[in-house]
Amino acid sequence: MKRIVDPQTRQIVADTIYDSSLALNDEDWNGFLGFCDNGSFHYRIVNYSPEIRKEQCWMDRDWKGMKSLFDLLPKHNSNHSPLTRHATVQRLGHDGADGDEVLATSLLTVYRTQLDGMNSHFESGQTILFAVGKYEDRLRVDLESGSAVLLSRDVKLDTRQIDVGSHIPF
Amino acid sequence: MNDVATEEKLKAASAAAERPRRTRNLEQWSRRPALPETHYVDTRVYTDHGIFQEEIEKIFNRVWLPVCHESELAEPYDYRTAGVAGNKPLVMVRGPDRRIRAFLNVCPHRGNTIVRSPAGTLLRAEPSGNPKHMTCMFHGWQFDAMGRCAEIPREEQGYQDRLCRADVGLREIRSAVAYGGFVWVNLSDEGESLQDFVGDAFDFMKTELDTEPLEIFHYQKSIIPTNYKLWHETSREFYHDYMHYHNRATGMLQQGYFDRKYSVFGNGHAATGLTTVAYDAYEGSKERILTFPGMPRNGWKQLNIFPSCTYSLRTSCLRVSVMTPINERETLIEIRGLGLKSDTPEARQERIADHDVIWGPFGRNLIEDLLAVQNQSIAMREGSGSKYLIMAREENETIHDEIGLRSYFAEWSRRLGRKAADPTRLMEE
Repeated sequence: MKRIVDPQTRQIVADTIYDSSLALNDEDWNGFLGFCDNGSFHYRIVNYSPEIRKEQCWMDRDWKGMKSLFDLLPKHNSNHSPLTRHATVQRLGHDGADGDEVLATSLLTVYRTQLDGMNSHFESGQTILFAVGKYEDRLRVDLESGSAVLLSRDVKLDTRQIDVGSHIPF
Repeated sequence: MNDVATEEKLKAASAAAERPRRTRNLEQWSRRPALPETHYVDTRVYTDHGIFQEEIEKIFNRVWLPVCHESELAEPYDYRTAGVAGNKPLVMVRGPDRRIRAFLNVCPHRGNTIVRSPAGTLLRAEPSGNPKHMTCMFHGWQFDAMGRCAEIPREEQGYQDRLCRADVGLREIRSAVAYGGFVWVNLSDEGESLQDFVGDAFDFMKTELDTEPLEIFHYQKSIIPTNYKLWHETSREFYHDYMHYHNRATGMLQQGYFDRKYSVFGNGHAATGLTTVAYDAYEGSKERILTFPGMPRNGWKQLNIFPSCTYSLRTSCLRVSVMTPINERETLIEIRGLGLKSDTPEARQERIADHDVIWGPFGRNLIEDLLAVQNQSIAMREGSGSKYLIMAREENETIHDEIGLRSYFAEWSRRLGRKAADPTRLMEE
């Protein structure tokens, strides 16, 4: 992977990652999907388990799978405590046959502000650190329009105990 | 049941439905349910610390408990650590003879934990020990993969002929590998074998579990603020399918769902037999063609082993959940997903995806179950006013019959000598 020094590309990629994170934080699912290529987008949540000494995958969905997951959220009994994703883009590089794709690594922290998951009278309003990890994103950048789309996102978690889990992706 | 009896039951149900409905004052709320004592539970069985300690002593220290899967320590000198029955530290090691043994993970010298990592290989030397040994980092006492003491630094100078390596081997725990390759332990040196404890409970899953070796692909754990029994009970009653949109769509709305039979076995084990699930009725999911040996496509079987383990086989993936009670308010929940060791990469990927849709930490059902048992614990904490849980559904031993809960507490009562409906009373009273 060749590191990117072109400031315009860096800015477009960073803006896309930040704006897509804000969409997720706002629970604007269609807004988030708008940043993802609807033909090829692939989303995974993975981690390494020292307990079984293996890489493991906890979610693996394409664009359509993500769409149906979001569409069905209202039908599930859930913890509605909002999640706040804080991503910081750390490293970018060119990839793809023509070097036309960009790989971006962002450090990720996810906070959860309690609402109804546990004892709401005592706990609602508290914020806890929920998970840490990385986004490893692949994007296609269009310099002419100054935009980019996510082709894939691997959420690589360091945190392996995430309370009761989460119905919504990180 | 004959026609006359059915008629009478229907009349009684109709009369009950006509009775005026009202709220209850404290005295009415605190009154015992007008049900047989086998059909309700006093909530103190979930909240009382004394009862919890008794459960550890009379149940967890004496029954067989699964601690890990053999594929987690696949090679000689591989190890896996665990804490069972109120967090008694164990280390499981595969010896050079390929046999898996379990030991108390406590150094006999000064009581330190010997092996600290969750898993690994003894082939790599510790900073103060030799390869192939378990080394206590505190004073360098070393133990081989069979649990024998292999090294005491400056042994003769310090202990002369008063104590030697032969006297200080590790405490070995009874263990066995069975039922899909799980490593089971029993903290008591005495008592029944694993086969006698399990009885014939696994018979209906034997082909799926034991035709060929299984392999773990998923491990997750969480410490949940709930009593361990509450979590286990979610696996023993299916009436809560109303909570799961996934199960309503793929199960309850499908023909034959309510005919699924419930079976209870000796020692408190219980199973729900094969049913067919319409996985593709949940949007984004699909029909399950990949299976285990002997398992029809789209099938689902489940077995609960007393007191804290559930095997759930949904066509392409086996989930085994194990509950380790920490105290009366906290439970370590471990969930393992398994496929066949012979899986192609494509088949394995399919099993993983099928597993995660329902059971993964980002799956649809697990979160709902865990939320429910957490909130049960909040509602029934000591002094909250919660009194009794009802387990009185009788539906001809089919899926929504609560016979699985009743059989659990029958075994619980037998072992503790207490009535679950009134745990302050001993059985002989």
